[in-house]
Amino acid sequence: MNDAVLSLREVRKSYREADGNRLDVIQVGQFELAAGDQIALVGSSGSGKSTLLNLIAGILLPDAGVVCVNGTDITQLPEAKRDRFRAGNIGYVFQSFNLLQGFTALENVRLGQMFGNGTGDAVELLKKVDLAHRLHHKPRALSVGEQQRVAIARALVNAPALVLADEPTGSLDAANGTAVLELLRQVCAAGRHTLLMVTHDPAVMRHFERVVRLEELR
Amino acid sequence: MNLFKIVTKNMRQRALATTLTGISVALAVALTVAIVHIKRGMQQRFEQSTLGYEMVIGAKGSPLQLVLNTVFNLDISPGNIPWTLVEKLQADRRVKAAVPFSVGDNYRGFRIIGTTGAFGETFGYKLAEGRWFTCSIEALRDAFKEALEHSQERIAKEKGDAPAKPAAHHHNAAEAVIGATVAQETGLRVGQKFIAAHGVEVSPNAEEHTDNPWTITGILAPTGTAVDRGLYINLDSFYHIEGHEVRDAPKDNDPDPGQVSAIALKLRSPIHAFPIYREINDGEEAMAAFPAVEVRKLFAIVGNIDRILLAQAILIGLVAGVAIAVSIYNSMSERRREIAILRALGARRGTIFAIVVLEAVAICAAGAVAGVAGGHLIVMVANAALRHVSGFTVAPLTMEVAELWVVAGSVALGALAGIGPAWRAYRTEVAENLAPTS
Repeated sequence: MNDAVLSLREVRKSYREADGNRLDVIQVGQFELAAGDQIALVGSSGSGKSTLLNLIAGILLPDAGVVCVNGTDITQLPEAKRDRFRAGNIGYVFQSFNLLQGFTALENVRLGQMFGNGTGDAVELLKKVDLAHRLHHKPRALSVGEQQRVAIARALVNAPALVLADEPTGSLDAANGTAVLELLRQVCAAGRHTLLMVTHDPAVMRHFERVVRLEELR
Repeated sequence: MNLFKIVTKNMRQRALATTLTGISVALAVALTVAIVHIKRGMQQRFEQSTLGYEMVIGAKGSPLQLVLNTVFNLDISPGNIPWTLVEKLQADRRVKAAVPFSVGDNYRGFRIIGTTGAFGETFGYKLAEGRWFTCSIEALRDAFKEALEHSQERIAKEKGDAPAKPAAHHHNAAEAVIGATVAQETGLRVGQKFIAAHGVEVSPNAEEHTDNPWTITGILAPTGTAVDRGLYINLDSFYHIEGHEVRDAPKDNDPDPGQVSAIALKLRSPIHAFPIYREINDGEEAMAAFPAVEVRKLFAIVGNIDRILLAQAILIGLVAGVAIAVSIYNSMSERRREIAILRALGARRGTIFAIVVLEAVAICAAGAVAGVAGGHLIVMVANAALRHVSGFTVAPLTMEVAELWVVAGSVALGALAGIGPAWRAYRTEVAENLAPTS
């Protein structure tokens, strides 16, 4: 047991291909992140960055290895407990926002709160991301930048120890991308949330003091 | 935010499919509720109407027809029986009361029934206002003789003989006591007169007995039975009308040539029912029937039709259930991403399963509630037809226990319909359905 918010040890993930051969997607030897760390994980398209985030989030299980979040080896948890653990301890920001279209901005944030039993103030959080005037708008009425800010608020509503961001600026123009990126870094820093962002965009990498290439984790 | 809000949002997003499948459930429930309600209501009304009528006696033929005609003012009379049988039964120590009835006329579709003062007393019908009509045995015998003369006069005319000079007859006043529904629907009041039309149903060509108006002396209190829809006149006045003849040639010197349509009996003890029943039925002049037995037989027949209709309604319900299952199942392809998002946010597989099942249950429950309301609406609309056919109506707003079972059944159907799509949702792979892998 240590103080690392995220700790990966000897994590392996492979997929069986159509010809029956196994394709190794993830091979991580040792990787740790402490509370408040902000890191950009870099890799080319198809290198397995999203798969790694899904392994850390407990959405996928590794073939081997240990994935510890906040001191809990999530690979040892039964699926239902893993889901609940994810809701309470891990925030996830997606490239394509993944907001539910039938729900307003506020309801989308409260959905995240519902599964994580969070007690945070969803309205306050949306105000923090400059969406006080958009609380009751549905995603299709919001700009892409606003949608991503809703997604950030949703990821943070349960005050998670770890925030995973999968190319969160990938669908945004440069100006919006920079604004969203800075906002994400800023609110994570303010709340001492550990931020792990995957990207292949050099412009994004420049915002991070620590950049790790996926290949270096082997 | 809670599961129900998520379910409601999902239903709103698929508003058209939700509405259409909900309507199909509502239709099935409405039909079921209406069938159950009308059948129960009618059976209660029919059974209520037979109370007090322990046995009815009439011309040989169909016992059901006799009971329908005598007790429910429906159908036509199977024929006439001799007045002497009334007197014989009235003299029988086993019989508490033998009440005669003669039918054949109507007023605006309401049947006119000739009877005696024993009618109200025997069956306990109370007057809301006024008094009973006057009817004496002497006047009745005189009326029979007059009817016989009418008959002989007609036969003589047909043969071309000169008709005999009619004898002078003393007529009691033609009086009537009318049922509560008759008073309500026709507006007739005590002291007013009405003119009967020949026949038991309204007909544009029906002959009207304009020379013989009846004066209303009383209005009966509502009974909830066929009595509410009858106009009861003194039996002697019935035979004063031209055309109300004694049809069969009476025996010579018969002191009572009269005939009546039926007799209702009240017995001193139920123990006498079967002996009297056998004696009457073994004889040649009349037939006896138990109203309660005939009503049970009638509803056994109706029950079969009722079961077929119920089976159809249940079938519609099952089809609606399948439609819900197919509709939600098909929507799962579009909703895989939403399900994956919910899972990524921390929703367990069981929660996703519950959301989908709840959605199907909510559609069925909403359909069932609308269906119950619709069923009562159908009863309300059907009451006009029921009144025309049977003379009875069913209270449209009373609830049957069976309705709760129908709602519970619909909810169960929803749960069942939701299982297939819910299982598909349960098995949705999260990683595959989130954003494309980089």
